[in-house]
Amino acid sequence: MTQSFYNEGQRLLGATMRLGGTVGLAAIRPAAGAVEAAVRLERAARSAATRRLGDAALTALDAALLSPLAEEAVDRAMASGLVRHAVGRAFEGPLIDVIAEDLVRYAVVERVVDQLLADGLVERMVGRALDGPELERVVGTVLDSPAIERLIGQTIESRLADQAVAQLLDSEELWLLVEEIAQSPAVTDAITQQGFGFADEVAGGMRARSRNADAWLERAARRALRRSPR
Amino acid sequence: MSQAVAARVHESEREHATELQYEGLVTRGIAFAIDAAIIDLVAIVVAGAVALALSVLSVSKDSLDTILIAVGGALFLAWSVGYFVTFWSTTGQTPGSRLMRITVRGADDGSILRPRRAAVRFVGLVLAAIPLLAGFLPILFDERRRGLHDMLAGTVVVEAPQLSRGSAPSPPRTPRR
Repeated sequence: MTQSFYNEGQRLLGATMRLGGTVGLAAIRPAAGAVEAAVRLERAARSAATRRLGDAALTALDAALLSPLAEEAVDRAMASGLVRHAVGRAFEGPLIDVIAEDLVRYAVVERVVDQLLADGLVERMVGRALDGPELERVVGTVLDSPAIERLIGQTIESRLADQAVAQLLDSEELWLLVEEIAQSPAVTDAITQQGFGFADEVAGGMRARSRNADAWLERAARRALRRSPR
Repeated sequence: MSQAVAARVHESEREHATELQYEGLVTRGIAFAIDAAIIDLVAIVVAGAVALALSVLSVSKDSLDTILIAVGGALFLAWSVGYFVTFWSTTGQTPGSRLMRITVRGADDGSILRPRRAAVRFVGLVLAAIPLLAGFLPILFDERRRGLHDMLAGTVVVEAPQLSRGSAPSPPRTPRR
């Protein structure tokens, strides 16, 4: 009997608590709605205020940049030691390393080069450099410099040059090419023209005259026998 | 790269060998005269050397005259035949031909003569000269400027391509029949 009384009491207590919860929720719901509406209103007001403030700041910045005082301010800032100090500190710090890493990471140089090549800017620059007198002047200066002379001398005397020449001379392709060129009629004609000199000149004159004599003699013989000319 | 260069070189060679000119009587006569001068000069020098040697040795000339003339004549003939046959069958050019830039080739395929054919040509040359050089007159009338000896040996004389010193002569274009 005690047990049944305990169970009945527990069920009664649960029902009472559920009833209390339901009644409590019904009482709180209007207050919660009011709080939620207040929060939304606060967010909207903050967003509008931020936008207005940003617009006002940009307007002020535009006005400041357009002002002649802005240039003066920049000039003064650049003339002061502050900029130099700031740049020096930036170079001392990890900024350069970070920038270099980012340049490599995001392939900035490759993209810029691709863009330049696609736009034809490189061709125009090269054409301008080749057409202008600057390149000639620079090359002249470089060639006249003793450092270049020393560098060329060292290169020629270096073992690398000897090895390159040795490899070139060992190349079968080279000798094939030399042989083909040496056998070409243009080269043999040039050698012949250069080599024979005066004797060949005399022989050439004699050949020309003999061939003329051939033609004359044949014409005469054919005329004598009343044959048609060749 | 070398193959491209070789192709261009050979193309140039083909262009170079397009013209073919048969040589006439005067040009060939001058070449032959130069060859005859060389042959005679060598023969005179050799004969002089032999005569000097015999003058030192106390040999009676009267007893040897007939023999010396016979031997000398045989040697001179051999020297002349050897001279022409050797040059015609090796380079196609005697020194005189080289100077006049002409060459002897087979009439059918433009090749250099074989020694037997060169020997036949030499015999034909002698035969053409026997009737007061009448055997050379066909050169004036033949379309390919061939003399009796050319007809006997089946040869033609054409302009040689200009050659560098020491290089082998390249065959000219095949003569037309």
